Amino acid sequence: MGEEPRSPVTVERMSVLFRVQHILLMVSLLVLAVTGFALMFHDNWLAAAVIRLEGGVLYRGIIHRSAAVFLMAQLVYHAFYMLCSREGKRELREVWLTRRDFDDFFLAMRFNLGMDSKYPRFGRYGYKEKFQYWGATTGVFLISVTGIILWAETFSMRYLPKVVLDLTLIVHGYQGLLAFVILLFWHLYIVHLHPSVFPMNRAWLTGKVDAEWLRQEHPAEYEKLKGEGVI
Amino acid sequence: MKPLRSFVMAGLLAAAVGGMATAGNAGPTVGDCQECHGDKTIEMTMPDGTVRSLFVDGKAYRSSTHGKAACTACHVDAKAPHGKLSPVSCGRCHTEAAKSYAQSTHGIVRAKGNPDVPGCGDCHGKHDIRKVQDPMARTFRLNIVGVCLECHEDRVIEERYDLPDEKMMAAYRESVHGMASRKSGLLGSAVCTDCHGNHLILPGDQPRSATHRQHIPSLCGKCHSGILEKYERSVHGKGMRAGIAESPVCTDCHGEHTITKISDPASSVYVKNVPRTCSACHDKEAISSRYALPKKRFSSYMDSFHGIALEYGMTKAANCASCHAFHDILPASDPASPVNKANLPRTCGKCHPNAGENFAKGMIHVEVSPEKAMGVFAVRVFYTIFIGTLVTLFVLHVAMDLLGRHRRGKAKAGKTEG
Repeated sequence: MGEEPRSPVTVERMSVLFRVQHILLMVSLLVLAVTGFALMFHDNWLAAAVIRLEGGVLYRGIIHRSAAVFLMAQLVYHAFYMLCSREGKRELREVWLTRRDFDDFFLAMRFNLGMDSKYPRFGRYGYKEKFQYWGATTGVFLISVTGIILWAETFSMRYLPKVVLDLTLIVHGYQGLLAFVILLFWHLYIVHLHPSVFPMNRAWLTGKVDAEWLRQEHPAEYEKLKGEGVI
Repeated sequence: MKPLRSFVMAGLLAAAVGGMATAGNAGPTVGDCQECHGDKTIEMTMPDGTVRSLFVDGKAYRSSTHGKAACTACHVDAKAPHGKLSPVSCGRCHTEAAKSYAQSTHGIVRAKGNPDVPGCGDCHGKHDIRKVQDPMARTFRLNIVGVCLECHEDRVIEERYDLPDEKMMAAYRESVHGMASRKSGLLGSAVCTDCHGNHLILPGDQPRSATHRQHIPSLCGKCHSGILEKYERSVHGKGMRAGIAESPVCTDCHGEHTITKISDPASSVYVKNVPRTCSACHDKEAISSRYALPKKRFSSYMDSFHGIALEYGMTKAANCASCHAFHDILPASDPASPVNKANLPRTCGKCHPNAGENFAKGMIHVEVSPEKAMGVFAVRVFYTIFIGTLVTLFVLHVAMDLLGRHRRGKAKAGKTEG
């Protein structure tokens, strides 16, 4: 019993299915970003080089739309999985935004500034993870809808005035930029640059995190798992 | 008509002189002159030391257009033997040509005694002059370019008289006109004299010059008459006729000596180059203000999907002319314009068959400003502010989070100590 508490030093945080989803999402988002931003910021040598590499503006479009179909398929699959599977339902409950997350956020900010002595005790997902999940989901949804309108341009032109298509194009591009900014500043920080995980949280590859890390960053989840006897 | 008249006059004169020679035994015959000048070795040393051949090819002379006349028809003071003769004056017979030539830039400079500038003989030849219709004539349509370029391809001459770059002159050879006459041997293709005139050549900036801006449309229209008709109806053509010198004429879009086929990527009106060609005027602040035209024509097009696609080689993407038309371009306010509101569904429909009346309601490639495109402008501003704020907040959050971590670490250290 003496050595028992230290034996499972790692805990599973991402199941294989989620790891696969994450990798596919990463690949399609990267392809979409490279092909999309080259078009949005087309007026420089880098964009020119990228578009040439993609085989010109025609093939750029085909690659972009293929990746988009792939991403949307993932979105649909993910929605079904989260709503219907046992694991998905549990995860959805965990990641669901509640009043507490906003309270946690403000509490954390007050603590960070030295205005409060308590730091929130995060569960499986803290406000950082939840904000990112819902931000990205909304973004992907918006970008998909606008993307479909632009793709089906012969259909859209029949029903929509040009000004709507102009707006759609703007929203599509800036929404992509927004997603990119979230990835760069938010995701990059919480899973790469944050001192507790630097240079990288390996969970996306191994699926596992240190129990000690969990105790530090997600104490409520740590205690729950301890109560269940997992740790 | 004119050459014919000159020819008849020359013939009459030659006959007269010939008649005089036989009747009055007043001068030497061609045979008499050929006794000395038929000798290939006859030559003379000039005061400056150069040696000049005095040989005259009798055969070439006899088959020339003047071949029936006696030498004295032109060399009026020739006797046998003779010293230095007075210069030949072609104008004695060819009065019209001489009068035009005297007013030309060549004539004016030559009158000052400048030997660089061509006189009659430099273009037409001397003893071997043939009629312009004769394929062996120096002035035959297919030979004329070579004759002009003898001087105008010479860098020294071009620089000395402040003329366009010799390469620009020679570029004619590779132009659609040059290729048609040089490669295909087409007589209908424009050669130098068709645009610049022959005897009365003047620089293009002089109002009397055949190549002055105001004459360009009708000049090109001599051959391209169907196009001229369309151009005359266009806003550019009307502007030109109204005396607005800034109104583009043919050469402003197509170039001059460098005109190539529109399928040639080097052409200024090749699909990919059209936006840049039109923007040479339509992206100029001064021109859009002066004629109350919409601004940002180039960037608003180049940032549209059409512009990007064209830039990256999708040549079927719409360029300026695809929607606005080419020679018969009209303002959007004109009901006949393809970009008139009422015609937009049809114009867009050329490529997008589903673009209906509903689609045409929006503004097309306008500058993004509150007055012109409020919706797009507002959404763009919103996103810019939103993303900017978000980035700032993210950075602030990272800073605060790190600060908090530091505090948590300290608190923990304190707890373990206590």
